Amino acid sequence: MADTMQNYVELQGINKHFGSFQASDNISFTIEKGKLVALLGPSGSGKTTILRMIAGLETPDSGNIVIDGQVVNEIPASRRGIGFVFQNYALFRYMTVYDNIAMGLKVKKIPKAQIKERVDSLLELVSLKGMENRYPNQLSGGQRQRVAFARALAPNPQLLLLDEPFAAIDAKVRQELRSWLKEMIGKLGITSIFVTHDQDEAIEVADEIILTNQGHIEQIGTPEEIYRNPQTAFTASFFGQNAELPDYHDFRSFAELDHVDRVLIRPEFVKVYKQDEKIQYERTASEGIVESVSFRGDRTELRIRVNDAVLAAKRNPGEPAIRAGEAVKVFLYRIFVTRGNEVIPLENLALQTDMVVF
Amino acid sequence: MEKTEKTSRRIFRYFLILLCAVFLTVMLILPLVYIIATALREGFSAYLAAITDEYALDAVLLTLKAVLWALGVNTLFGLCAAWCITKFHFKGKKVISTLIDLPLTVSPVIAGLIFVLTFGRQSFLYDGLQRMNIKIIFAVPGVILATIFVTFPYISRELIPVLTAEGTDEEEAAALMGAGAFTIFRKVTFPHIKWALLYGVVLCTARAMGEFGAVSVLSGHLRGKTNTMPLYVELLYQGYDFTGAFAVSSLLVIMAVVVLVLRSVLEYKGKKSQERNHYG
Amino acid sequence: MMKRKSTKKTRVIPGFGLSFGITMTILGLIVIIPLCSLVVFSVQLSPAELIRTITRPRVLASYGVSFVTAFAAAAVNAGMGLILAWVLVRYRFPGKRIMDGLIELPFALPTAVAGIALTHLTTENGWVGSLFAKLGIRIAYTKTGIIIALIFIGIPFVVRSVQPVLEKMDPQYEEAAQILGFGPVRTYWKVIFPEIFPAWLSGFTLAFARCLGEYGSVVFIAGNTPFKTEIAPLVIMAQLQEYDYASATSIALVMLLASFLILLINAFIQSRASKKVSGIV
Repeated sequence: MADTMQNYVELQGINKHFGSFQASDNISFTIEKGKLVALLGPSGSGKTTILRMIAGLETPDSGNIVIDGQVVNEIPASRRGIGFVFQNYALFRYMTVYDNIAMGLKVKKIPKAQIKERVDSLLELVSLKGMENRYPNQLSGGQRQRVAFARALAPNPQLLLLDEPFAAIDAKVRQELRSWLKEMIGKLGITSIFVTHDQDEAIEVADEIILTNQGHIEQIGTPEEIYRNPQTAFTASFFGQNAELPDYHDFRSFAELDHVDRVLIRPEFVKVYKQDEKIQYERTASEGIVESVSFRGDRTELRIRVNDAVLAAKRNPGEPAIRAGEAVKVFLYRIFVTRGNEVIPLENLALQTDMVVF
Repeated sequence: MEKTEKTSRRIFRYFLILLCAVFLTVMLILPLVYIIATALREGFSAYLAAITDEYALDAVLLTLKAVLWALGVNTLFGLCAAWCITKFHFKGKKVISTLIDLPLTVSPVIAGLIFVLTFGRQSFLYDGLQRMNIKIIFAVPGVILATIFVTFPYISRELIPVLTAEGTDEEEAAALMGAGAFTIFRKVTFPHIKWALLYGVVLCTARAMGEFGAVSVLSGHLRGKTNTMPLYVELLYQGYDFTGAFAVSSLLVIMAVVVLVLRSVLEYKGKKSQERNHYG
Repeated sequence: MMKRKSTKKTRVIPGFGLSFGITMTILGLIVIIPLCSLVVFSVQLSPAELIRTITRPRVLASYGVSFVTAFAAAAVNAGMGLILAWVLVRYRFPGKRIMDGLIELPFALPTAVAGIALTHLTTENGWVGSLFAKLGIRIAYTKTGIIIALIFIGIPFVVRSVQPVLEKMDPQYEEAAQILGFGPVRTYWKVIFPEIFPAWLSGFTLAFARCLGEYGSVVFIAGNTPFKTEIAPLVIMAQLQEYDYASATSIALVMLLASFLILLINAFIQSRASKKVSGIV
C-alpha cells in the first residue's frame, strides 16, 4: 500500500548551523502527499529551522530538500509553491482582511475579477464573510489565524507550512481551532506540516509526528505508534506525564533487567484501589499513601507515595472518592525502562495476555 | 498626622510645578517674547522692511535650498539605511549604526573643520576639484554639505526603532508571495513608518534651518551668496542692526513654533498608530 | 566562498543590494570620506607641533572654560531635568501639554537666535541683566552668561532621557515600598532613583557632550575674552579664519577625544547598570 503513496516532501541529510549552534544535524525524512504532519519538539530542538528551510526562509549548509520530486535548494521561497502561516500570523497590519488575502494574487498580476472570486470563496471557506473590510487589529486571535490561513491558501499552494499555529491563541479557542484546522486541511487534501511544542496538539491534530530533539530526529510515526512504542529514551520521557521511579523493584512482577538508567511510569498505567475495593491482581499490588488529591473537573489527580517513589494517577469521578492521607493499593500495568538511548517497555508479568490499556 | 503629610505633599507638588514653570518661562519663553518685542520695536513697517530686504530674502532662499537638500538626501538615506539595518543580517551593522550617529556627537565647528580639510587646499581632492572648476568650501555646496552632515542621522534615527519593533515577519510573508522589493516597501513597510518619517522630516527641517557653527565655517560669509538665515542674523547683529537681526530671528522663531506644534501632533499620531496596530 | 553564497541566499526579503548600495554611498560621501580626510590630515601633523599647539596657555584656558561651563550647565540641567521629568510624568495640571511641548524648543530654535536673545536679555541694560546688575552681578560676557546659554541648549536632553523610563516604571515598586513603610524621600532615593539612574546619567552625558561642542549660542553671550570667556570651539574657529588648519585640527582632536571619552564612560556605566538589572555579571 505504501508504494502507491507518493512522497511529496523529502529532506536528505540536512545540516544547518547558526554560528556554533547546530540547529539541524543530518536530518532526513519523507512526507507523503496529502498528510498532515507535526514537527514536534521542545524549544530549541530545531523544528522551526526545519520548517523555515523547507519554505526557503533559511538555507541548509548541506543536504537536499526535495518538493514534488524536484530539488528546491536553488529555488527561491516565492517559487516553491508553498503557503506559510507565521507564528504570529504576520498579517499585514495596514491592510484589510480582503487585501491581506488578495496580496499574493495581486503580486502574480491575476485579473481583478478573478482575485475577487478567489478571495470571496476563501472568505467563505474560513467563515469570515462580511469581515473583509476590517483590519487585523479589529479581529480576535482565532479570526486572525483564519485570515492567515486563507492568505496562505490564496495562491493555491501544494504544500502548507504552519509555524506554531496555535501558540498565539487563548487556551479555550485553541481547542476549537485545532479541530477546525484538522478538518479544513483534511477537506482540502493539501500536504501540510506544522510546528508545535505541545504534545497534545500534535497527537490530536497530526496524521504523523516527527519528534525532534537537539537538532536531530528522535522518532517518526503516527501519534499512536509514537505514544505507545517510544523508540528512544527521549521519546519515552517526552510523551505523557511521566513520573520517574527510583527503583522499580519496589513494585511487583516486572522482568529483571541489568543496567537500568531510568524508570518511567505514566499516570494511565497506574491503577489505584481503595483498601476495600476488589482487586484483580491482589498479589502484585503495592501499598501506598495518598499525598495529595487535586480535583480537575472531569477527573481527580492523585499523588501517591510508595516507599521512595511518588506516582501520579488519575481517577474517574464515578469511582469512590479517595482522600489525602489514605492508604491505597497501587497496581502498575506498564513501565518504560531506559538504558542509554534505548527504551524497553515492561509489561506487568501478572498480565499474561496482551492487554489493551487504553 | 495623616493630614499634615497629605498637605505637605501637596505643597511640595505645587512647589515643583511652580519651579518648573518659572524655569521654563525664564529660560525659554522670555527669549521668544524678547525676540518678537525687539523685532517690532521700531514699528511694523520697519519690521517688514527688514525681512523683505534683498539680502534677507537671499538668506531665506539659501536656507530653503539647504533645508531641501538636507531633507532629500537624508530622507533617501534614512529610508535605505533603516530598511537595510532592520530587515537584513550582515556584518558590520554596528559600525554602520555608529557612523550614522557620529555627526550628532561632533561639535558643529569641528564638523565644519572636517569639510574644510576634505575639500580645502591641503586636501588630496583639491586639485581634481580645481580642475573641474568646482568650488565647495566658502561656497553654496559647502553650506549644503555642512547642513546635510549635521542633520544626517535625524531621519534614520526615527525610522530604525519603529521598524525594529515591527520585525520582519510581514516582509517575509510578502516576499514568500513573490512580491518585489518596491512593492513590499510601498505596501507593507511604508504604512508603518509614515508618521515616524514625517516626524524625522520635521526635526531635520528644524535643525537644518538653524545650523550655525558648521555653516559658519564653510560659508565664507558672502552676503547675498552664502549667508543662510542664522548667518545673516549674526551679520546684522554684529553690524548693530538689532531690529534687523531680531526681525529675521522672528521668522526663525515662527518656524520653530510651527515645528514644535507639528512635532507634538506627529508624535501623538505616530504613537497612536503604533499602539492601534500592535497586537500580541 | 561557500559560506558567502549561503548567507546571500538566506535573504528572503528582496532589495538588500540596492538599499545597501545607496546607504553606503551616501554614508561614504557625507561621513566616511570627510572622516578619513580628518584622520589623514591628523597623522601628518608632527606630534611635537601638536603638543605645542594644545599646550598654548590660551588654548589650555579655553579648554578649561569649555569644560567648566559645560559641566556646570549639564549639572544644572541634570537637576532641573529630573524635576521636569517628574512633574511632567507624575502630576496633572493645566498647561502640562504646552510645558511638555516647550521642552523641545532648544532643538527647534536656531542656536544663533537663542544666543542673541539671551545676550540682549542679560546685558546690563537688558530685561533680566538690569535686575542682576543692581545686585552687582554681571551675566552677559562672563562665564555665567556662557553657562546660561548652555543651560538653554541642554534642557531637553535629561528630560527626554528620564521621561520615558519614568512613564514605564511599574507603580507596584512604589506601592511595595510604601507598604514596607518607606517614607516618600526614602522611596524616591531607594526605589525610584536607582531605576532611572542609567537614563538620567545618559541624559547628563549627552547634554555635557553637546554643551562642550556648542558654538552658536555661546559666541554672542561669551564676549570671547581670551583666558576668561573664550571657549575651545571659538579658538578652533579663530584658527580656521587664519587658515591655520594644523592648529585648528590639533585643538579639535582633543575636543573629539574628550567627547568620545565621555560617551565611552557613559556606555560603560550603562552596560554595568543593565547587567545589574538583568543579573548577568
